[in-house]
Amino acid sequence: MHEPVAQPTTEVLAAPTAPRGRAIVVTSGKGGVGKTTTTANIGHALARRGATVALVDADIGLRNLDLVLGLEQRVRYHVLDVLEEKISLDDALVRDKHSPTLCLLAAAQAREKDDVDETKMKALIDQLRERFDYVIIDSPAGIEQGFKNAVIGASEAIVVCTPEVSAVRDVDRVIGLLGNAFRPQLIVNRLRPALVKKGKMLSVEDVNAILRLPLLGVIGDEPEIIITTNRGMPIALQDEGATAAAYRAIAARIAGEDVAAPTVEVKDSFMDRLGSFFGGRR
Amino acid sequence: MFDLVEVVEGRCQLRQALIKDKRFGDCLSILPAAQTRDKDAVTPEQFSSVVAQAAEQCDFVLVDCPAGIEGGFRNAIAGVGEAIVVTTPEVSAIRDADRVIGKLVERALPIRLIINRLRPEMVRTQDMLSVDDVCEILSAELLGVIPDDEEIIDMTNRGEPIALNPSMRLATIYDKIARRLEGELVPFTSFDSPGFFGRLFGALKAG
Repeated sequence: MHEPVAQPTTEVLAAPTAPRGRAIVVTSGKGGVGKTTTTANIGHALARRGATVALVDADIGLRNLDLVLGLEQRVRYHVLDVLEEKISLDDALVRDKHSPTLCLLAAAQAREKDDVDETKMKALIDQLRERFDYVIIDSPAGIEQGFKNAVIGASEAIVVCTPEVSAVRDVDRVIGLLGNAFRPQLIVNRLRPALVKKGKMLSVEDVNAILRLPLLGVIGDEPEIIITTNRGMPIALQDEGATAAAYRAIAARIAGEDVAAPTVEVKDSFMDRLGSFFGGRR
Repeated sequence: MFDLVEVVEGRCQLRQALIKDKRFGDCLSILPAAQTRDKDAVTPEQFSSVVAQAAEQCDFVLVDCPAGIEGGFRNAIAGVGEAIVVTTPEVSAIRDADRVIGKLVERALPIRLIINRLRPEMVRTQDMLSVDDVCEILSAELLGVIPDDEEIIDMTNRGEPIALNPSMRLATIYDKIARRLEGELVPFTSFDSPGFFGRLFGALKAG
């Protein structure tokens, strides 16, 4: 009688696949809410923690992640060169100037989003996940082919929303399209606490009363973000400052750390503070 | 309520789908987009014919184009005779605008530029590109400059157009843009006036 063939144990199955990295898509539906800036800053913040990070620009035809990272002069090849096997992944990855464990895979500028083969895109993201702790994919605006290309290889999603009704509506639609599989988490971007206080801007609670997502972070509308983005030096690279700290807290939450709930410092006037001291507010 | 896709599919007449904004008398109508359909539900030819129908009834047909340069963009530009490109004074937005202008130029569409969310303070401290910088990079004719003002956030969230409320700081700016679209030569508001008193003076003569 034959001995039963030994079934591979889970140990054997697990062995060849080293711990695989996480692929996270950053998306929103609406344009101009800060997806690219968010991607760049989360990338740097994760890299500062010692993680290896690949940032993938999926906005083919309208690339920008290279500019925001200050790497535009170093980009020679792009994601379609890799998908079409014209160039190896190693040759296409651009190492960041500031964070040595951060790499960029740039988008093609002179091509169309319809040129991407979704199956190959997924395979490429899988390949990156073998090599990096985090693969963060910067999605284009909209819910067309570019969005589908950005999402295909991801297993998690971060949705970026500004406190504006039009953005909330778009994000709500995107969440519906993503479904629960991506376990989407929310970043509220460009919040102006002073305006919220005056009742002239939706609060984080207002936004999330509609979206109902785990809150990953809140980023204030600071001129410093525009400046650092224009200069290709993401603000998360700075050691000081509330915004850099907010991105570091986001990175810590992504890494699974239990960080206190996100807040944005409200630059209270003296009278407001006096009021709250005496229990006058809330 | 009907939407654009239903007009295209012949399930209703254009005039049935147009929603009149009563605040503007009979002057402003909106044709809503379909929310539950995707952009491939309409071809550029179909879109173009709806715009042509609307143009028979209206002096101006404004098509709000989605972000990106995919199908939605191709639809939006299919039936139009000219284009307004909106950009912010940020390098990433300017690069995208440049790409879009390239696509519009291929179609021989006349282009004018609106620079949105300008922060004059930051231009003064050279932390933001100036209006002249942006126009030069994009080599496009300027239609208007809209400063980054909290009025817009508030009014947009409430669904109240600034243009309806003449007391709003920005109402005159939109009014001037409208007049330029009608062909009037209207001088531009300067956002370069330095210092607090300059700003005060600028605000007083605003418009």
